[in-house]
Amino acid sequence: MNKQMKLAGTALGLMLAGGAAQAQVNCGANTGVAATGAPILVGGIHGNAAPGDFSASTQAAAAYFACVNANGGINGRPIEYLVENDQWNPELAAQAASKLIVDQGVVAMVGNGSFVEMAVNARTYQDAGIMAMASACAVSECFESPSIVSTNQGPLASTIGAAQYMVEAQESKNISCIGLAIPNVGPWSCGAMEEYMASKGLTGSSVYLNPASPDVNSGLLEAVASGADTILVNLPAGLALAFMKAAEEQGMVETYKWASSTPLYDRSVPAALSDVWDGRMFVNAELTPWDKGGPDAVNWLAVLDAYAPNAPRDTFSQSGFVSAKFFVQAMLELDPAHLDDRAAVNAAIKGIVGYESDLLCGPYYVGEADRHMPNHAGTMVVVKGDGFETVRDCYEYDSPYFAPIFENEKALGLN
Amino acid sequence: MRELLRTIAVATVACMVLAVLLGWGKPAAVVGLFLVSGLAVGSLYALGGIGIVLLFRATGVLNLAAGAIGAVAAFVTWQLGDWGVFAPLTWVAGLLTGVLFALAYGRLIAPGLSWREPVIKGVASLGYALILLGLVSFLWNDDPRKLSFPTDAVSLSILGLKVTVTRLIVVVAAIGIVIAITVALNRSRIGLQMRALANNRRIASLVGVPILRVETVAWGVSGLIFGFTGLMFGSLVRLEPAVITFMVIPCIAAAIAGRLVSLPTVLVAGLAMGVIESLLTLSDTFKAVRPMAPYVIAIAVLVVMNLNRRLTFAGED
Repeated sequence: MNKQMKLAGTALGLMLAGGAAQAQVNCGANTGVAATGAPILVGGIHGNAAPGDFSASTQAAAAYFACVNANGGINGRPIEYLVENDQWNPELAAQAASKLIVDQGVVAMVGNGSFVEMAVNARTYQDAGIMAMASACAVSECFESPSIVSTNQGPLASTIGAAQYMVEAQESKNISCIGLAIPNVGPWSCGAMEEYMASKGLTGSSVYLNPASPDVNSGLLEAVASGADTILVNLPAGLALAFMKAAEEQGMVETYKWASSTPLYDRSVPAALSDVWDGRMFVNAELTPWDKGGPDAVNWLAVLDAYAPNAPRDTFSQSGFVSAKFFVQAMLELDPAHLDDRAAVNAAIKGIVGYESDLLCGPYYVGEADRHMPNHAGTMVVVKGDGFETVRDCYEYDSPYFAPIFENEKALGLN
Repeated sequence: MRELLRTIAVATVACMVLAVLLGWGKPAAVVGLFLVSGLAVGSLYALGGIGIVLLFRATGVLNLAAGAIGAVAAFVTWQLGDWGVFAPLTWVAGLLTGVLFALAYGRLIAPGLSWREPVIKGVASLGYALILLGLVSFLWNDDPRKLSFPTDAVSLSILGLKVTVTRLIVVVAAIGIVIAITVALNRSRIGLQMRALANNRRIASLVGVPILRVETVAWGVSGLIFGFTGLMFGSLVRLEPAVITFMVIPCIAAAIAGRLVSLPTVLVAGLAMGVIESLLTLSDTFKAVRPMAPYVIAIAVLVVMNLNRRLTFAGED
């Protein structure tokens, strides 16, 4: 409740204070007139407690909704965005979904970001007729569910994307993927990388680190013993840095080719790495680089500046912004008489096909399917100086894992 | 001394047998790498365990906040370094932070629980750990950070594995601290008073042992060790509040293997735990359960130690 009040208060305050910035932002109907009708209830769940904060996606969605409310809302009606924190606790995640869907009667879920929430609530969303437009997913259940679609790629697609770049551009022949020993994260994503390598007649192997074990040296030695020429780090940033430090101690940075999935695409990472990694660590970015420019990229930053100045500006934030933008776009196309009808709202979400944003490398869609992964094209960057440099702009990933997804896209006329 | 030698012999044989069994068919150099890697992690377990045992002997508090105090020290050190403060000053400030936060608990909270059961004291310190974890997580967001020391850049090659001087410092510090504390406990007046408190708190107070002063020294010294351990964890493992806070768990396993009494046994047990945990990586079957190793070893040690002993409810067996 406190979180909701805080967000509502922040949104209201910024609606009043952000008037001067409204000329720079472009939100929803963009009328410049504040919405005053009965609110449309929309929910969001994030995880924020030690050891990680996944709230960037809901913060960005809240900022965009506040901007939409200040610019005509959805046909004159404001969006009331109710956000809950699962605190990485499955019981709290289930309670949060029940509170939002049953008690408060939200018509849609947008901007969700968690390691826990999706695995717990996928069935709840399905039973409630909700198609959750998530933004910061990291587990298999999030991408292999008929009731969740995420704007971000998650570790599987990002890992395949990184491996593909290393094979095609860096001539890698044998990649060892370093993942978390959590079945729906590490083995799921590194296993798909192994499938990709096998499909190209190359060698892939995986090493799984137990997050409870302080010893990353053993994992490094295991990767070395695999005979790999490339090490692909598929770990949360903190653990990845520890792993890379161990490699640095052993003088292995120059001996191997190095790549990473998205977690290392973080503004604070280059400063935390020593110079030896400069130009050597290739990182996959799930959405387009922060500084790429384009109407949505500029608007994303302008909306955050005006409505959430203290919110993070990272990949999950981009993803939350895009989810919120596409939701608003779908609602503006829906008959205003049906905005409180959960079935109609979610049918409209499922009807999204071919929405585009310069923050994504490909079209976004939802559709009726047993799995959803609309974002499977990304960008490769390399650590350079205090930041990152793009080494390969938007490219489509190619792996046997995507076969059923490509089939769905063909049916929707997208592929 | 005889018991210590026996412990060293048992730990060495256990590690060697495991190395032969799990490393069978693999090049000796590869097995050696895992052995040396395990010693580095084991020395961290031992270091944390030593601080816990020292404090428990003097105050009867099993300090579950040891890791959290270390986490505060590590983050203060990183923060000062990030602000551009002269590096040695940041290290000193980190160590003093450990002392400060240990003393804060020891002087403000622990006296109110001094006559309660050990389990109450332990649970209270767990509460303190969670408060400190919340405080550190609140003050420092989850951005990736790195705590580095100049000694990270210098390394020696041992059995083919490069070992940084920072890791060697941890091993040497663990051995040095055990020797220094053992000598202090046996030769100094404050050491005598600590041993008196450890043997029987009630009688020690009746014969005039200045409990508050002795406990303050114990909290301060243990805080210094926790602070040092936190800095080393932050550098050698990773600089994350929850990771450093909960590293106290394998440290407690090492302390329990020393029956919360013998510092040399804690050192040997901690090293053995690190080596065995590392060697388990060589087994496809056991590598998934590696983090269990310290606790399984601690339980095995307790079972072996208590063979042929009759336990009574009096607790003075």
